[in-house]
Amino acid sequence: MCQSVNNIITGFMSILKGLGVTGKNMFRKAVTIQYPFEKPVMTERFRGLVDLHTDKCIACSQCVKICPTAALQIEAATNPETKKKFPGVFTYNEELCCFCGLCQEVCPTAAMYLNTCYEVAYYSHDEVTKIDLLKADKYVHLAPPKMKELKK
Amino acid sequence: MNIPWMAILFLLLKGVAILAFFAINAMFLIWLERKVSAKIQNRMGPMVVGPHGSLQLIADTVKLLLKENIVPAEADRFIWWLAPFFVAVPTVAAFLCIPFSQEWIVSDLNVGILFICSITSLCVLGIFMAGWGSNNKYSLLGGMRSAAQIVSYEVPLLLSVLVVIMEAGTLSMQGIVHAQELGWFFLKPNVLLAFVIYLISATAEVNRVPFDIPEAESELVSGYHTEYSGMKFSMFFLAEYANLFIISAVAATLFLGGWLGPFRPSVIWFLIKVYGIISFLMWIRWTLPRVRMDQMMSFAWKVLTPLALVNVLVTGWLLIGKG
Repeated sequence: MCQSVNNIITGFMSILKGLGVTGKNMFRKAVTIQYPFEKPVMTERFRGLVDLHTDKCIACSQCVKICPTAALQIEAATNPETKKKFPGVFTYNEELCCFCGLCQEVCPTAAMYLNTCYEVAYYSHDEVTKIDLLKADKYVHLAPPKMKELKK
Repeated sequence: MNIPWMAILFLLLKGVAILAFFAINAMFLIWLERKVSAKIQNRMGPMVVGPHGSLQLIADTVKLLLKENIVPAEADRFIWWLAPFFVAVPTVAAFLCIPFSQEWIVSDLNVGILFICSITSLCVLGIFMAGWGSNNKYSLLGGMRSAAQIVSYEVPLLLSVLVVIMEAGTLSMQGIVHAQELGWFFLKPNVLLAFVIYLISATAEVNRVPFDIPEAESELVSGYHTEYSGMKFSMFFLAEYANLFIISAVAATLFLGGWLGPFRPSVIWFLIKVYGIISFLMWIRWTLPRVRMDQMMSFAWKVLTPLALVNVLVTGWLLIGKG
């Protein structure tokens, strides 16, 4: 008898405690955001898609050698006047990339870096496998006009 | 022949008003439930359709209306078709006796509270029919659990209502409200206990968490309405939220003074009280886990029923003492 009365009282008190916890949370700010409308800003060290400062690159092929999944391809070209090497073709295969960041670490001129882009959904396979890092609008899937085109 | 056209028209209008309130209230409550749950879980809830997702339910209703009505091959078709109406019609009928204000009541029966209690108990018939007609073991289990649950929790519920009836000396809903003009009933300690018992058993009565074992998603795949789709499913859904409104309205009328309040219009006071109770029940729902079947049954028969009986006894004693 005494035991069961005690049980009821502790049960009631624990319900009140639980209500307190949820009640407190009810007035907290939401931790979620309205994703497609507002996008979270990633930190500087976030390892997103591989990106390139085209002017800094000296086409030394260090990144190509260290890449564990062989996601990068480079063809060096030489400037006839200054005799300096620069990348003639630089393609990035996002499908193979494992976002390890080794290319960024090994790059002697800090030309290679991983940007903060986390959206890696594509409309076609070619867009994934052949990203031309030398182009300004290399990430075709992020450009809004493409979406309109597809809708047509 | 002299046909009272005006009276018939008026009756029809009242019926339409009840049905409209039935639908709009359920839509609002579903939105509120989603918002409350989102707030408690630090989410945002529906945000896209309309300001703060307020039109979400209209979109959902349109979707449900357009959906195909799938009938299971082995279903008992007649019972299966009838069940949603058996759940929805008593709920609409219970709105007849709910006093929104001094004037806003469809019919002030002199046995109002008895009518509401008896007709809302009919819902279990529809739930059991749905479980049986679906010819699905989970649905049948859900229906049987619901029947067992409602039969057991009806006892403490009615006993706690009885306390109020003894205090008020009338069964009419308006009469009960008028009896509270000197002081709301829940201020008396014995009626406060009855209020707590009523809230617990009413939560069980409408199959809400922590007593939602008839539709326990994790064990019964949402119980008796597993096989239903489209408009039939939404009938169950609407009836569930309309039932929630009814138990809260009865609680507000019996214990919190109904539409009584310091200033007019009194219907505002009634709605504030009702939606306050509903919000509290939602708060409870998103706080507590589900109880086990045996725990629930033993709680009804070993704790609530004796407590309610003793409460009735004490109330009678106090009333005799008063003379």
